[in-house]
Formats: sequence, C-alpha cells, structure tokens
Amino acid sequence: MAPTVRISAVAYYKLYFHAAKHPHQPVNGVLLGTQDKAGGPIEVQDAVPLLHHWTSLSPMMEIGLDLAGQFAQENGLKIVAYYQAQRNVGDVGLGPVGEKLLGRLREQFKDVVGFVIDGEDFGTDKAALNPWTYSGDQWKAVPPSDKPFSQGSVYQLASPDLPTKALHYVREEGHHQAFGDFDDHLEDVTIDWIRNRTCIPIDA
Amino acid sequence: MSFADAVTLAWEFLEQLALAAIDLDKLDVADVCLQKLGAKFPGSPRLEVLTGIRMEASEPITTVLEYYNDLLIADPTNAAAWKRRISVLRRARSLDKATEELIQYLDTFYTDPEGWLELADIYVSNRQYTSALQALSHALVLNPQNPFTFVQFAETAYSSGDLPLALKMFLVAIEMMERDLESPETKPPAGLAFRAWWGIKLCARHLLGGASGVSSSPSNTPVPKHLKSVDALATERVLGAYKGKELEERRRLVEHWLSSSK
Repeated sequence: MAPTVRISAVAYYKLYFHAAKHPHQPVNGVLLGTQDKAGGPIEVQDAVPLLHHWTSLSPMMEIGLDLAGQFAQENGLKIVAYYQAQRNVGDVGLGPVGEKLLGRLREQFKDVVGFVIDGEDFGTDKAALNPWTYSGDQWKAVPPSDKPFSQGSVYQLASPDLPTKALHYVREEGHHQAFGDFDDHLEDVTIDWIRNRTCIPIDA
Repeated sequence: MSFADAVTLAWEFLEQLALAAIDLDKLDVADVCLQKLGAKFPGSPRLEVLTGIRMEASEPITTVLEYYNDLLIADPTNAAAWKRRISVLRRARSLDKATEELIQYLDTFYTDPEGWLELADIYVSNRQYTSALQALSHALVLNPQNPFTFVQFAETAYSSGDLPLALKMFLVAIEMMERDLESPETKPPAGLAFRAWWGIKLCARHLLGGASGVSSSPSNTPVPKHLKSVDALATERVLGAYKGKELEERRRLVEHWLSSSK
C-alpha cells in the first residue's frame, strides 16, 4: 500500500501561490519533507518552486533541483514529491517531462509522489491535487474513486480548510504577489525563492 | 493628438477591453464591446477573429474549429484565423494535427518568428529536441539580434544532450548582452545575462567533469579550448551577483554548488 502523505499548511500555501501567480502558464516545483523509514508515512513540510517559463527545458531545472536538494539536506529534509500545473485547464496529465523528472527524483527517494494541480478544482474548497505514483514500471494517476484528500484517504492536507484559506490569501490579501520561484530569482537575485518567507501567512 | 487619432485609439481600446474581459471570464462585458465594434466595423476580418476568441471562451471546441474553418475557406490568407485554429487544436491536445497545421502555416508565412517559437515549444513539450532545434534555428534567422532566442536555443540544445552546442549559444548570447560592458566587477549580471552565465557554468562543469560521452555533439560543435577559463569566469560572474547581507544564505547555497564538481 502507498505510504500516507500529509501536506503541511506552509507547503500547500506555497504551491497554491505558485499556481495562482501564473494562471496561464505551466508551473512546477518540489515538496520537501521527512519519512522515518522506507514505506513509512511522509510528512511534507515545505515547497520549493522552480519554473513557470520553459518548463520543459532542463538546464535551469537541473540547477534549481540541485539547489533545492542541497537546501533540503541542510535542513534535515528530503525531496519527497514533485508538483506541476499544466497550461490548459483540462490537462491533468504528467506529460513526458513530468515523468522524466519524477524518474530522476525516484532514484533518490523511492516513495516520491507526483502531484498535478487540477485547474477545474483549483479555487474551490477541494485540494485540487491529483496524485501520481509509481507501480508496475509505470507512473499512474491515483483513481478518482480513491478520493485523495478526503477523509480516510492516504493523502491528507494538514487541515481540510487549507484550500479555502489559500483562496482567501490570494483573493483578499494578495500573498501570491510576494511569491517568487527560481525563474524569478534568475531575473532578480534578491528574490527569496528558496524560503519565500514574506508570503507565508501568520497562521500557517 | 488629433481628434481622428483619439477616435482610433478609443476603438482599439474596446478591442483590448474585450480581450481582457474574456481573460477574466467577464463575458458579458466582452459581448458589449463586440456589439459596439460590430456596429462600427461590420465584416472586419480583425473583428471576425476577435469573435472567434470570444467563442473559444464558451463554445464547444468543434463549433469553434468549424467557425475558423469557415473563415479560412472564405479567405485562405487569414493568418490570424489560422493561428487561432492551431492554438485551439493545441489546447484540445490534438498535438499531431496542431503540429501539421503549424508547419503548413509556416510554409506559407515563413517570417513569423512567433510561429517558429510555438512550434519549438510543442516539440519540446514532447521531448522532440532535434525538431525543436530546427524550428528555433528559423526563429534565429528571423531574429538574429535577439539574445532571448539564443538562450532558448542554448537551453534546448542542453536538453537534447548537446552540451558543446549549448555552451556555444550561451556564450553568443552573453557576447551580445555584455560586449559593451566596461567594468564587469562593478556590474554583476542581471536578468537574461545572469541566466546565461548560469547556463555557461552548468555546461562547463559537466564538460570538465569528463563523464563518458559528455562532450559528444550531434551538431559537431567543438568544446572551447579555454574551457577552464570560461568555467572560472562563469563562476565569478554568477557569484558576483550575490552581494550583501540579505543574500548571504542564498550565496552560501550557490557557493557550495559552484565549488562542487560533478
């Protein structure tokens, strides 16, 4: 059975702000967390956003991943998941690039999960994350009948009202404006893409 | 500004407003703009395309494709309608059809750099890097002064595994952007140049690392003779951008990466 994955408020808010900041573009990033033993429960504690531009090209992705991995290690964390949002609302596939990336991440962390942001559910009270896991030599989407992020599912948010709160932070308080990813950092070195301290709401 | 100019601007503004409204899903606002524009410019091809864009927001894909097909039958040189149809095909994930049409379009309208960039983007999303590089080389022919396209080419070459070609193109882009830089120490790279220096460092590091096959180049691009100097310069340029107390943590992270070899 797949290990349980619990996503903290900080991690969820960051990936949410990333997607909200670039509604017309693909975005991707990684999730950092801990797992006490192989196959055991995964606690996702943080998110590091990578690209929103040329997301299928590898050089900046490689550098960003290296730096994120280093940051994780220095803080006792591992890269436990990858997230992406595709350009078009109906597109919830991993795609060839997402699969390749997950394959590389899996070399370092066997239980790595892929999360594709669901554009239809994004902005509602649902988590809007479609998990993908590796089984039988392939990456497969967790079937909707499993109801990820609902009660009793292996995939959980730290609290069920995170999507509603995240929407509020975007709509009413514009937290996503202060948010920056590695692409932004490459244009302006002062952007704190690794921690994104200023965008994190106080209650997270 | 003459009164006539002001009036032209007002109609252009309505067109922009319609597009913005469609973007924000305020379709009722878009419809009012379209009504006014329709009354003033009946039968305008530009308005026909705008109407198509409005349809894309709410009609089924088959209806929209039919609409653009009709426009193209009436006027096969309607480049804007053709491009809209291609983007709808791409959105509907008919990638083969979108690619086929885009190639036909570029055969007819060669001097459209945006079209070549879009073709490259479709190829790259499917990891067809060689085809992407071919499309990008056309974009380069059309925009030989644009460092942005050179960086895109370099990153695509890197993704295709041709590191010497990627390095060469990153260097060309830097030469374009920094050839008039008088005192590099006081002006650390910013924006696109910063990105290109990172690219140069990444390529140099791998090439110096000497892993088997790393300097093989399908385009037969040679590795630069002074690779070590290029590597040292890139290290200096990238690190030079991280000055000041607030950047300390990020500088440390980057220093660690720059000093490790792969």
